Amino acid sequence: MFDPIMEQIQSLAQDAWLFLIGLLIIVAMLGALYYVLQGTAGAAFGGGRMTSTAILGAVGIVILVLFAFLVLPRLGELIQSLAPGPPF
Amino acid sequence: MAEVTDLILSVLRQAWLALAGGLAAVAVLALLSQTLRAAAGSALSARFWVWQAISAGAAVLILALFGLLGAPALAQAANQALPGSSGCGPVAELGALAAALIAALVALRLLRTTFAAVLWASSGGSAPLSGALVEAAEAVFGMLLASAATPLAAHFLGAC
Repeated sequence: MFDPIMEQIQSLAQDAWLFLIGLLIIVAMLGALYYVLQGTAGAAFGGGRMTSTAILGAVGIVILVLFAFLVLPRLGELIQSLAPGPPF
Repeated sequence: MAEVTDLILSVLRQAWLALAGGLAAVAVLALLSQTLRAAAGSALSARFWVWQAISAGAAVLILALFGLLGAPALAQAANQALPGSSGCGPVAELGALAAALIAALVALRLLRTTFAAVLWASSGGSAPLSGALVEAAEAVFGMLLASAATPLAAHFLGAC
């Protein structure tokens, strides 16, 4: 009875996952570009703090993207494997 | 009576599986959206936004683990802790049927409330997890009434 509903939910979730991944790539690339610009400007004008902030920001974005691409799928598999059978 | 119970319980079991699958899917998507939020906050140098996304992601993970691990254990414990029906004849069968159905509904309501809590937490709202526990207590009280009060009423009315 609930199989068609489950298929709809899975289809919607897959579309949402792909959409969010695409959005994450765009946001990460724009953020990394912004930090590259900030770091370049800091290096050009002798702003050491500005450059180091930009490098840290870019590293933070890389870490977040790696988390999303490497850790989240494993976490999702773990959560799905934990889905319990009916206790009644 | 037993066939009707099995039929209703099979429908409720399918609903449980669909709800558990939906909960897992929503939790994973919520984790991804919070990661996107953290990346956007990091790109905009919005430190508070990043911390908010990290805490929301942790809340979603904890709620999902509660729903997938804690809710079945709670429902099973409530189901096993109740005494058997002390009535006789069809009244006892009716009490057992009602208790089984209410036990299934307890588990489903607990999972549904956890599902709503995950949705709330993923959208940044307050997580109504206490509602899940209140609903579980209400349903356990209903199980007590069904399994004990119905045979007592039958004794009182002289049916046994």
